[in-house]
Amino acid sequence: MNRFVRTEECFIKLNINNSTLEIGRMKKIGLIVNPIAGMGGSVGLKGTDGGIYKEAIELGAKPTAPKRIEDTLALVNRKDLYFFVAPGKMGEDYIKKFDFKYEVVSEIGTQTNADDTKRIIREMVEKNIELLIFVGGDGTARDVYDALGLKIPVVGIPSGVKMFSPAFALSTYAAAEIINNEYAEVIEKEVLDIDEEAFREGKLGAKLYGYLKVPKKLNLLQGKKEASNVNKSETIIKEDIAQYIFENIEKDTLYILGPGTTLATIACKMGVEKTLLGIDAVVNGQLVGTDLNEEGLLGLIKKYLKIKIIVTPIGGNGFIFGRASKQFTPEVLKLIGKENVIIVATEDKVSRLECLRVDTGEAESDNNLIGHAKVITGYKTETIIEVK
Amino acid sequence: MMIKLHMNENPYSPARSIQKAAIKGLENVNRYSESKFLIELKKLLGNYNDTSSERIVLSHGSDLLIREIINIFSKDRKIIMVNPSFFPVTQYALKQASRLTRIQISPPDFKLDSNLLLKELNEPTLIIIDNPNNPTGKFMIDKGFAEKILQKKDVLLLADEAYYEFSGQTFASMIEKYPNLAITRTMDKAFSLAGLRLGYLIMGDCFKDHFPDFLTYLSNPTLFAAIEALKKPEYMTSNVDKILSEKKRVEKELLKTGIQVFPGNANFLLIKTKILDFGKRLNDEEVNIFNLSDEWMEGYYRISIGLRKENDVLLSAIKKICNDDKNRNL
Repeated sequence: MNRFVRTEECFIKLNINNSTLEIGRMKKIGLIVNPIAGMGGSVGLKGTDGGIYKEAIELGAKPTAPKRIEDTLALVNRKDLYFFVAPGKMGEDYIKKFDFKYEVVSEIGTQTNADDTKRIIREMVEKNIELLIFVGGDGTARDVYDALGLKIPVVGIPSGVKMFSPAFALSTYAAAEIINNEYAEVIEKEVLDIDEEAFREGKLGAKLYGYLKVPKKLNLLQGKKEASNVNKSETIIKEDIAQYIFENIEKDTLYILGPGTTLATIACKMGVEKTLLGIDAVVNGQLVGTDLNEEGLLGLIKKYLKIKIIVTPIGGNGFIFGRASKQFTPEVLKLIGKENVIIVATEDKVSRLECLRVDTGEAESDNNLIGHAKVITGYKTETIIEVK
Repeated sequence: MMIKLHMNENPYSPARSIQKAAIKGLENVNRYSESKFLIELKKLLGNYNDTSSERIVLSHGSDLLIREIINIFSKDRKIIMVNPSFFPVTQYALKQASRLTRIQISPPDFKLDSNLLLKELNEPTLIIIDNPNNPTGKFMIDKGFAEKILQKKDVLLLADEAYYEFSGQTFASMIEKYPNLAITRTMDKAFSLAGLRLGYLIMGDCFKDHFPDFLTYLSNPTLFAAIEALKKPEYMTSNVDKILSEKKRVEKELLKTGIQVFPGNANFLLIKTKILDFGKRLNDEEVNIFNLSDEWMEGYYRISIGLRKENDVLLSAIKKICNDDKNRNL
């Protein structure tokens, strides 16, 4: 019996008695590991961004990413996967210990950096991968976002010192569970930009950096009385929110739209295209400002009598106005007023929050915002939640 | 064998006499149930709740009754619910309600802000509240606050008292006075009849008008078993006592492991842990608990109280996982 694998088309074929039996189409998976992510943690450093990596090595730091990816791969039991892996310590070194079909993408030198990550991911995309598995920390997630955007879903395996980005799976088991099972839906999760300098000083400054598409994990362990197929998809829920906002738009009112995909859906319903991560402004269906800074916002605020801000909280920590959202300064918020802040979010996101949070950097401004707030979570659906 | 502690079931089988009654019900399953038995069950439930049998509506599961109330009353009313709440009902309300407001309760107290709720009652409203709440086990409203709500004529209050026999708190005595009050109950939990599904509604006059002929043909095994169970409620009360006593023991032992336990008023415990894959690791030890991270927040789990020996397996598995986790982090 002559067995062969025709990898370039990702088909397993068995040649039995001169007849070719096609077993089935394989799922193309990209795999990339940031080999230095997590090294700062063991030596008391928070993160390996910038030059801290060298300091970590001098202090005797050991790589943690290899164990993470090997633990995950050990739990992967699907046989129909075909991996496109980064070379050497960025992927190949770990997958070769297992019995997976794979091919190596690109080349690397002895030292690797963020540019390698981005370059290799772009090459994997050209190979038509359907899912990318990456191992690293928040910094790696940002590199993945830079290279990939929202093109294909990812499974982020946490290995860095700090994983504040909700885009990560909770554990290696959770990651393997997603890889092993087909997923019906992908959702967008935040990638955060953590100020590591501030973090080393015990402060947390988290800014929204981008979004990654993540397969929605289903808990397969517990039987339930009712399947959750009555749930609407995240895309439809965002459409519902946008429709509700759209139907309640007031004429001659300046709408300041914060960052995020929910806000992008609202902007689309308003007939404009907004920047995903910037703050844009719309009046009567016309875009009057994009990627606004504080000065730009103050300039617009002075021109209009009626103003509304629409924002969405950051998943995981619930910040609607964080200290890193520099554009929404205490002055801007004071001029607009709490009663003109509209908060929107999917039900799924709100349910996972203990509360909403504000940290504008000024106590008086924060005090004006705390209490309870209504979050629009669908068409004529809202959740009242505490703001701290 | 897997120990099932994830669906708030009663770990005690029905008494032998109840099982025999259910088997007797199988004899005539080619026929629909006879109305005389339905009337008898309603009468027994009326007596059990100290109310008229005319106020009782029967169904295969209290969630079906809640859905029916949502269907009837959500067209021209806002619905208010607490989040989190009994998930299947929440999903149904999200799908059906024309307007829905959810009030999020937050750890560690999971307390419903009564003023916040009262402020929302400025238009025709249906409030659906599980009391005690599932999954927190906390009471959301007491009698005094329920009365404040019920004094508002445009507001209907549906209290789901699925865990009444464990919590001891009910609004049943207020049903004659307040036409805008309804209560759902179940015999699935305390009466050990989960597999037979018997839910019922105790309704105030406003609801009665909408359920004039809601005659449910329950299955004969369900009907006969429920009648028998209500004739001898002492079997149920003795099981409830045992479960509550076990709950105290499990809670005490869990606290020793460092896991955060939120005391509640039902037959389950809400816990929180930072241990990764806690539910999966317990599953590997053949214990299934309810992982709330799919519908709610990460790290929260709901554990039903089982038989003593089942709880012992649970506790020993949790201790092992906690120790492994400590060693891993050293």
